[in-house]
Amino acid sequence: MGTVLRGAAAIAAAAAYAGAALADDTGGDRNRFQFEIDASYVHADSPFASSWTEGGLSKLRYSESNDGLESTRVFAQYRGRIADTLSATVIADYQSDASKGLDVTEAYMDWRPIPKSGNQQQIRVGAFYPPLSRENADLGWQSPFTYSYSAINTWLGEEVRPIGVEWSLHRHLGFAGSPHELRAFASAFYGNDPSGTLLFWRGWSLNDRQTRLGDTLPLPPRPVFDFTGSVVGHATQSVEPFDEIDHRPGAYAGLEWSYAHRVLVQLARYDNRADPYAYSGGQWAWGTSFNHLGLQAGLPWEIGLVAQWLQGETYWIQGARADGTLSPFAGLVCDDFDAKFLMLTRLVRGAHRVSLRYDAFDMHRAEGTPTGLQSDDGHAWTLAYRYEHSARWSAGVEWLRIDSARDNWTLFYASYDAPPSATETEIRLGMTFRVGATPH
Amino acid sequence: MTTGVSRSSKSRGAVWILALSLGAPAYAGSLRVSVVDDHGQPVERVAVYALPSKPLATATSAPDAIMDQAHNAFVPHILIVQTGTSVLFPNNDVVSHHVYSFSEPKTFELPLYKGNAHPPILFDRPGVVVLGCNIHDSMLGYILVVDTPHFASTDAQGSISLDGLAVDDYSIHVWTERLKPGDLPAAQTIRVAADGTQTVSFKLEGRMAPDFHDRERVSSLPWERY
Repeated sequence: MGTVLRGAAAIAAAAAYAGAALADDTGGDRNRFQFEIDASYVHADSPFASSWTEGGLSKLRYSESNDGLESTRVFAQYRGRIADTLSATVIADYQSDASKGLDVTEAYMDWRPIPKSGNQQQIRVGAFYPPLSRENADLGWQSPFTYSYSAINTWLGEEVRPIGVEWSLHRHLGFAGSPHELRAFASAFYGNDPSGTLLFWRGWSLNDRQTRLGDTLPLPPRPVFDFTGSVVGHATQSVEPFDEIDHRPGAYAGLEWSYAHRVLVQLARYDNRADPYAYSGGQWAWGTSFNHLGLQAGLPWEIGLVAQWLQGETYWIQGARADGTLSPFAGLVCDDFDAKFLMLTRLVRGAHRVSLRYDAFDMHRAEGTPTGLQSDDGHAWTLAYRYEHSARWSAGVEWLRIDSARDNWTLFYASYDAPPSATETEIRLGMTFRVGATPH
Repeated sequence: MTTGVSRSSKSRGAVWILALSLGAPAYAGSLRVSVVDDHGQPVERVAVYALPSKPLATATSAPDAIMDQAHNAFVPHILIVQTGTSVLFPNNDVVSHHVYSFSEPKTFELPLYKGNAHPPILFDRPGVVVLGCNIHDSMLGYILVVDTPHFASTDAQGSISLDGLAVDDYSIHVWTERLKPGDLPAAQTIRVAADGTQTVSFKLEGRMAPDFHDRERVSSLPWERY
């Protein structure tokens, strides 16, 4: 009931914001509110009784027990211009299935000095997404293509949210009208030390629930072993992925080339530079780093191609206890993870969009470190149709199928009737209401 | 019945002709210019201008030219004006723009605005002025400032016509942002006689960048991020 009340309060607040946005349409846009409600009819099919969002083993956001109408997201974005070249952005999100109702996904200031040459620079300070996703190009870091994000961007939305400073530079290469454009970016940040914990325990997922800055995420239950190595029970566990634990800044940097809005290639490297022996406030740091390749291109027949490839590793202490002590068997391990997706999309008459995406993902214990608890190996198909009826109303339907094999599921989760591999499907019929939807 | 009206319009026309002939010869010729690419295909939206042999006074009484902003783009993509022309930059979008240029012929900035918040900007030196918006990276436009009132942008057939040219030797130039400045064809000099039409053709060689106008929606992908 508390959740319902908080939700109602959030919606009322957002409606007030929306009113401000409507009133603002005639005036300047020094203060701009945008507001959106997403609701879906959801039907999930999984061999697992509960979703990971409920502390279960299913990779889907929803389980069969909550089939029906769900408010998938309610959010408001505020963008205020403090000066001509300085603005502030805050995105507040209400999620009915999260640890608390209302919280913030991004909050940052950005400064864009007027260029004195062909170099356009920008500095962002605050909590923001690194500019990696080729998919999440819509308001509130949503995808205009599908409801559920690819495995890569689902994870970036869940466990990667730098809190720091980012510098970027954009320029045309060569003469003024050159179709070649270059962008470079680099960031130093705090937070994100437990990042990788959810990915390891749950495996890759495809959903659209972005972690807010203060969220606590449930993890699948941790198996408890006796001296013979048998599972004697399970303990609940959770993670706050954006916490700072070791007080060592992380960093990311990347380079992007594009040609005439037809082809774009981006290469980036991210490293939270966390010390896996560091512990604070009930959490251990996980040393997580990855390389990332992003691609997008216009193909014949106005078909758009979007692809990303992420390859990384996470160092953590297997046998580290939640109270900050180490078990006698504790040791440093490394898990390698890898995911890629390729999506084709076509916009018809500016309002109808059909997108088909194939995801492949993998996680396994790195060679040379003690054997692992869990691996993850699978792929997913997503087919979506989105219809933009007007600037305010849009609707869509999505079919998602995730096939994954986790070789220790049967061993560690026998009491959960976990199969060695699972096929999970989710169907969504979505409706979106948006106010003040003009970009920027 | 209509004599009064026609007499009055005739006399007004006479004043016009008198005014024009004060500074220009009585007879004037025409010029037709066509522009094709490597494959002989006509090229649209190429700026063509004819410089007379003796420098002209800069435009002083010319009306303001307009560089509009609509749907997060400069309209037109290339605006040609005579040196000495003032240009208005109305923003007809619902969002604000922050127009600037760091180009050598004119460095200026129109801080964040909508509508007609800023007075016109005077372009008093010839050359290419590249326009940008500090909010929207993908907004790109050009103002080509030329020392002549004789200019036009090629149509879909890749051609333009200039009429009312005084008898003179003209240097005909073409400019497009789609070619490196070094790859633009050399100017051609031609004598325009008192009557009749001279024709000149240009071939654009070298690698042309794709037309800016084809960028929108060719890929079904959004390029401007939120």
